[in-house]
Amino acid sequence: MQLSIETMNLEFVRKVEALSGSSVRRCFQCGKCSAGCPMRSFMEHPPNRIVRLLQLGQYERVLAGRSIWYCASCETCSTRCPNKVDLAAIMDALRKCSWDAAGHSKESYVQLANRLFLENIRTYGRQYEMRLAAVFNMKSGQFLKDFMLGPKLITRGKLKMFHQKNKNLPEIEKIFKRIEELRKKGEAP
Amino acid sequence: MPTKNILNYSYYPGCSLHASAKEYDESTRGLFKALHIGLQEVPDWLCCGATPAHNVDELLSLSLCAKNLELSEQAEGDLAVACAACFSRLKVAQHKLADHPDTRKQVEYALDAPLAVEKPVKHLLEILANDFGLERLAAAVRKPLSELKVACYYGCLLTRPPNVPELDCAEAPTIMERVIGAAGAEALNWSHRLECCGANFTLSRPGVVLKLSGDILASAKRAGADCLMVACPLCHGNLDIRQQEIEEASGERFAMPVFYMTQLLALAAGVPAHKLGFDSMIVSPLPLLKEKNLL
Repeated sequence: MQLSIETMNLEFVRKVEALSGSSVRRCFQCGKCSAGCPMRSFMEHPPNRIVRLLQLGQYERVLAGRSIWYCASCETCSTRCPNKVDLAAIMDALRKCSWDAAGHSKESYVQLANRLFLENIRTYGRQYEMRLAAVFNMKSGQFLKDFMLGPKLITRGKLKMFHQKNKNLPEIEKIFKRIEELRKKGEAP
Repeated sequence: MPTKNILNYSYYPGCSLHASAKEYDESTRGLFKALHIGLQEVPDWLCCGATPAHNVDELLSLSLCAKNLELSEQAEGDLAVACAACFSRLKVAQHKLADHPDTRKQVEYALDAPLAVEKPVKHLLEILANDFGLERLAAAVRKPLSELKVACYYGCLLTRPPNVPELDCAEAPTIMERVIGAAGAEALNWSHRLECCGANFTLSRPGVVLKLSGDILASAKRAGADCLMVACPLCHGNLDIRQQEIEEASGERFAMPVFYMTQLLALAAGVPAHKLGFDSMIVSPLPLLKEKNLL
């Protein structure tokens, strides 16, 4: 694809900048973020290239790819950027864009894990690792994943077979509901 | 007659400390009791949202943290946090809510109450090194950890991003080394103190963890470490629980015990070993502790 002013999409850049609170346009491609990124070898586009693609309006390639879901949020990029681009926040913003648009990305396992994690908070108030892992395996069709770890963890008392729900669950549900309300009214991103 | 506590904190253990990281919780309580530092668990605390929440829904992440900070007002003292991830989320929320009035309004709406989020949030390391103090910590040692070569592993969230955790320097921290040094151990210089372990990919993409945590274990071994010391349940899960798998994948044998910092400090402070959850660890530390005459 030939890059030109027509292929840029400043609207999307502005959206990412508003969501992340970080400039996308300040990046001058020094590559320090990718040099320190522990996940670069798992990504099709390393962090500095993600920013470059955004600057050039190629955001659909970013959202459709798996790189943004392979970011570990370790914050090394944001720590080392010499021009104060908060790349970790930009990654969060991109994941939100991809998440809201449903079905954009190729990386379904990470998204499934995120979804189950958030559902657990809404249903129980806290994470119960046993349930999280069991439901993840079931829904991702990997029934035997970590099969050998289960007994080791259970005999060491590290997985709770039974658990209680928080007493303040109605308050927690209210938080989720009110955030949904805000979004319906267009008053929150 | 019970001794009066010298310091008192409210305590946010976080989800892992009630399950896969229960030895972190047990040893924290044991250590703090031995040092006469009071801990009162925040009633009905909820999950901080961890990485999944801020990854896809920042407003939810901030609201969950704000709710926890509000709940923490029911317990006396600054908020002590053990898990590096919970600590990071709570601190990030305080910074964001202080700096962004629009976001603050949205979170206030979500909680349906004016926010009460200003209580100081402190990681256990900070409490031990700064509030309690290294001199008092050294004076409390009954069983010095001399001859124990410890690779202190920070991971990501204790120090990054700069200016948020306010714990130590983002690129060259020394707080863990100072704390374990006060207990008499030898803290090693090594290369992977601040590298990522693969964090929550342990559920979705364990292959990532095998590579990143494998590199960390290999680095600690090269430096001549007897053991690793961590302050985060996710790092612990990856380095300890998945260690055998890492060995199978990399073909390198580590047999490297991974301690929570409170386990080692409590052992040094004379808390009985059976109260420190050593038998909960997948890579047993007992041969090492016997060899060093620490049991």
